[in-house]
Amino acid sequence: MNLVKIENLVKRYPMGKSQFTALKNINLQFEKGEYSGIIGPSGSGKTTLLNIIGSLDIPSEGSATVLGKKIENLTHREAARLRSQHMGFIFQTYNLLPVYTVFENVEFPLLIMKMSEKERKKKVLDALEWLGMTDKVDSRPAQLSGGESQRVAVARAIVKQPELVLADEPTANLDAENSYNILERMVKLNKELKTTFIFATHDEKVIGYLKRKIYLVDGQVAKDEIMH
Amino acid sequence: MLALKLAYRNLKGAGLRTWLNVVVLSLAYVLIIWHQGIFTGMLKHGSRAVIEDEIGGGQYWHKNYDPFDPLSYDESHGPIPAELAGLIEDKKATPILIRQAAIYPEGRVQTVLLKGIEPGQTILGIPSASLDKEEDVLPVLIGRRMARSTSLDIGDYLTIRWRDVQGTFDAVEGKIVEIMNTKVVVIDKGQLWVPLAELQKMTGMKDEATIIVVSQNVQGQEDVSDWKFKDQKFLLTDINQMVRSKRISAGILYVVLLFLAMLAIFDTQVLSIFKRRKEIGTLIALGMTRRQVISLFTLEGAMHGILAIGIGAIYGIPWIILYSKTGMKLPQATEDYGFALAERLFPSYSVGLVLGTVLIVMVTVTIVSYLPTRKISKMKPTEALKGKIS
Repeated sequence: MNLVKIENLVKRYPMGKSQFTALKNINLQFEKGEYSGIIGPSGSGKTTLLNIIGSLDIPSEGSATVLGKKIENLTHREAARLRSQHMGFIFQTYNLLPVYTVFENVEFPLLIMKMSEKERKKKVLDALEWLGMTDKVDSRPAQLSGGESQRVAVARAIVKQPELVLADEPTANLDAENSYNILERMVKLNKELKTTFIFATHDEKVIGYLKRKIYLVDGQVAKDEIMH
Repeated sequence: MLALKLAYRNLKGAGLRTWLNVVVLSLAYVLIIWHQGIFTGMLKHGSRAVIEDEIGGGQYWHKNYDPFDPLSYDESHGPIPAELAGLIEDKKATPILIRQAAIYPEGRVQTVLLKGIEPGQTILGIPSASLDKEEDVLPVLIGRRMARSTSLDIGDYLTIRWRDVQGTFDAVEGKIVEIMNTKVVVIDKGQLWVPLAELQKMTGMKDEATIIVVSQNVQGQEDVSDWKFKDQKFLLTDINQMVRSKRISAGILYVVLLFLAMLAIFDTQVLSIFKRRKEIGTLIALGMTRRQVISLFTLEGAMHGILAIGIGAIYGIPWIILYSKTGMKLPQATEDYGFALAERLFPSYSVGLVLGTVLIVMVTVTIVSYLPTRKISKMKPTEALKGKIS
């Protein structure tokens, strides 16, 4: 069974009196354990597609099925449950909760899942160890560098070991060394935990790591290539 | 539980902004409770003084007596009925005869009420025993306010003119034998207290009275022929209404205080939602429902109220206890308020007052915290994640 299946997907946004079509007739499938990326310049529709897969948005036409659930039919509550139980998000601007410590930020998805305190603590420390952030557990986001912040964001995305991690331009604000560190760790996660990663990016550093590259131009899939 | 934990973390993380709101809100709590306590104390004190010095356990009024109509005084007297004479003999009631008269302090005529009371009575807190002195002139007892307004002092003589039962004018010389320090204005200003028997004799109204005050220990009195029984509740109506009207005017202060506190909370909430829209988007992306996010923000606002209870208690409880013990010195002008007030006013606080205030403030804070959060339900998470409000 496909982890993600997108059929004839169209996404339109109102723009004044007319409508802007961000995605045109997209048909894609993603399997479990894929390490793939949606590549394209700004405005090509890659973030929109990622948001629909992440159940943060719905298609105007067509269908997006994620983990067997049709995104367009989900209620707010069902979509929230899908995200909290099965998905992890990594954002370009890290989106860490500013008043929480590193530990509390990573713990947050587990709190939503109502996991026990003991289990939470173990999982958070494991995730932070994976990302090499155990010495920063009590730091607040303002005290972290960009690379460290993104590592915390990755730890937050993988702490519950989700089936699917969606990463929107995860290295856009990072220098080469930090980008390399983050990407290496994500590749390792993909290999060891079989976590499916879908990136939205136009960063060459990320593109080099991808096993599948889906090129999006003006809201349409221009090329879909699998690397061997 | 999750929302509570998260709300607490967020409030703690917000630092100074939280504490400023909490301090303003705690001021609202403490000032409302303190001020309400003052009025409750005022009512209690006023009522107690009026009961002790003026109305006792209730009064029988002669059918023609109307304290607000001086013209009724001429006709409002009658023989004490046998049913009440028994109470008087048992020291459970005391008769008072009220007549109009005129005095001439400093050469100016002044209308007064001449009140006859038994010197040996113990029903009212008036020092009537001082009227028992053997004098060759009429012994007169007056209040502090009356003494001040007429420049009379103990030992001073004054001419009293009155009309007897037939309407004939007569006059006698009286001597001030005592100046009483009562808190009840209506038994002080414009009043001369004289021995009942003397007044009955002077007016030709033997064994007659205008009102009969019963002891506080006597219960369940009913009307007796021409005498209508007025219970404490009726007789305290004026003071209750006066305190109530003062409470209403004080209510404006509470509303202003609460409004300021609520404005601070409302502003904080609006600002918080605006500043934290990216965070709201993140919370939704991480799996919180909109309702959970709304609950979280509402709880954060409402928790200001809970923290304010703690902060208010830290400085409010010692302050209120100190005030309850030392009281508040009232300015002299309060003598003219129209009801009984001591020189020091002791506030009175009850559990009901504290809980009621806490409940009102908490409900208001919660509503004010909730109102701005409704915007969250209309937010698109994709826009919020970018820091935009859709």
